[in-house]
Amino acid sequence: MRLFEYEGREIFVRYGIRVSAGVLVRSVEEALKAVETLGYPVVVKAQVLTGGRGKAGGVQVAANPAELIGHTGRILGLVIQGEKTESVLLSEKIEITQELYAGVTFDPQNGLPVLMFSTSGGMDIEAVAHTTPEKVLTLHLPPTQPVRGFRIVDFLRGSGLQSDLLPKVSQVLQKLIEAFYGSDATTAEINPLVITPQGELVAIDSKMVIDDSALARQHIVPRFEAGTPLESRARTGGLNYVQLEGNIAVLGSGAGLAMATMDLISHYGAKPACFLDTGGGISSEKMAEALRICLATPGVKGVLVNAFGGINNCEWMGRGIANVIDADKPTTKILVKMRGHSQDEGWKLLEDRNIPIVKFGTTEEAVQQIVELVCPNTRNDGACQGTQGKGA
Amino acid sequence: MAILINQKTKVLLQGITGKMGGLHTKYMLDYGVDLVAGISPGKGGSKVGTVPVYNTVPEALEHTPIDATLILVPPYAAKECAIEAIESGIKLVVIISEFVPIQDTAYVKQLAIERGVRIVGPNTIGVISPGKTKVGIMPGSIYSPGPVGVVARSGTLTHDIGATLTEMGIGQTTCVGIGGDPIRGMDFIDVLKEFAADEEKKVVVMVGEIGGTGEELAAKYLETGYPKPVIAFIAGQTAPAGKRMGHAGAIISAGSGSAASKYAALAKAGVTTTKTFSEMIVAVREVLATEEAPERQLLGRGQAAGN
Repeated sequence: MRLFEYEGREIFVRYGIRVSAGVLVRSVEEALKAVETLGYPVVVKAQVLTGGRGKAGGVQVAANPAELIGHTGRILGLVIQGEKTESVLLSEKIEITQELYAGVTFDPQNGLPVLMFSTSGGMDIEAVAHTTPEKVLTLHLPPTQPVRGFRIVDFLRGSGLQSDLLPKVSQVLQKLIEAFYGSDATTAEINPLVITPQGELVAIDSKMVIDDSALARQHIVPRFEAGTPLESRARTGGLNYVQLEGNIAVLGSGAGLAMATMDLISHYGAKPACFLDTGGGISSEKMAEALRICLATPGVKGVLVNAFGGINNCEWMGRGIANVIDADKPTTKILVKMRGHSQDEGWKLLEDRNIPIVKFGTTEEAVQQIVELVCPNTRNDGACQGTQGKGA
Repeated sequence: MAILINQKTKVLLQGITGKMGGLHTKYMLDYGVDLVAGISPGKGGSKVGTVPVYNTVPEALEHTPIDATLILVPPYAAKECAIEAIESGIKLVVIISEFVPIQDTAYVKQLAIERGVRIVGPNTIGVISPGKTKVGIMPGSIYSPGPVGVVARSGTLTHDIGATLTEMGIGQTTCVGIGGDPIRGMDFIDVLKEFAADEEKKVVVMVGEIGGTGEELAAKYLETGYPKPVIAFIAGQTAPAGKRMGHAGAIISAGSGSAASKYAALAKAGVTTTKTFSEMIVAVREVLATEEAPERQLLGRGQAAGN
């Protein structure tokens, strides 16, 4: 989960990294009150999770009350890459002699945390790394070994920093590494980390991403990205659901299987109405909710359930489907391909309700069958697209 | 010859007294797995079915040799269990648990590298050498013995590929689910290296999905020359960009991780790329036909071997 700048700054402070003084405000009135302690000039920064706020005009300097009112009023509500700005951070304007970049993230190539540092701070670091890779130093950090201070100082020797700065910068990097581990981050970045004329190091922005799987032990309440009402409902029910524009809903017992099923539906001339992955450990109640969400998806003419009883169990899944059939009596076509642990018990529940089942066939055959059910003449005339399915 | 596990593999189950542990103890015994012990701290001395339960891995090792362990515990407990297994000297650790924090996986992965231990997972169905044994939670009946090696990120897609091959009368030597998380123990490359040395194997089916760089890294490795034909399928060809498709690792970021880019990298490495299962089956059949392997099993449709 991405954190807002102000949330990341709170973590930095907790780990002893100095940040510029700042106050979060949600209205012009709050801004005018906050500036009484911060003073002018003050930096007004949009708090959004997307990048590119600078280019979108989401960062401004106010030198007086009139400018503060103007900037705050305009930035609050500013839409940046589709995200509406709900709050702004007012922060003291720091004098800068040099801008640095510091970050810790995971290297997907070997699964190791990697420390990154550059004296070309303040810019898009990915662009810097792409065009001038020699300007970004990297150091892999095996998590089984303690991070020694001398290693960081030694690492920084190649950066071009003057010797007298090495210990100071090294300390900030060590604190950043501690913050990365301590908060279960997958990314912890300071960009820029600035050097003031007094030789102090101050973090004036933060980018932190916390591992979704670690939110509970970090005591962080998950914040979901905006989605459709059905997407929100699915999340509440612990289901992975992506709403699409098509006619056949895909309900899979795993992400890869559901994606492959989607691909095949497109291949055979129809369009997936949604992607739903139940994940492992599914109960009959969860299966019922998954099916109800698929049936409620706009434009849906058919539902293909493609499930394996591995960590799941076909009897529990079958019972969930059966309960929806009994209670809701849906008229939308439903085809179930289900195999694995307790398959006979699961199939029986569906057969008792005349739900068509693919027992031993392949996913490809199941896809062809549901396309045929939804658009009976697809094989002759080709397309079974969008909501124009004839078989509905 | 299978890779990683065979009929002689002595298997441990960490988390044997949980609901899933009990269920999969039964499924594994039914499949003929040599499940020699289970671990549940505080419940040592009891039994789950016929399987003795011990408090710790070292205690279990006092009673029996152990070659591989299956970890079936809640996500925040997986790291400690894996460390216990690694430090006790078990050489293959399969972590089934889903939602293990990435930092826990990174730690376990590194410790395993330092100790010469193989990790499969987390967020995996495990490993099966059909007809021999399994260290995983897959339904054994959908797999069958034969000449194809399967390596896949997605668990249920591994089931589906296994079942499809079996339906078409094509068996498998070993199927490895490497897991759906962005950081995992064995990656495509590691499994491909194992398969390369397996003489029984005639062809490798590699099943990727959108997101991450595992398939691209595998392509770079395969480019340097590989002794077996490789056939690839990538799931998520029609997935929208920027949406997380179930797995934490399955998201197309700006300009990378798409099925198209993975297919391109693999094709460049000489891999046969297939867009549907039936294309994949045709490709596998073609390879097997030219290999003329006398020992290969061609079963009738629907006659799943194994269990």
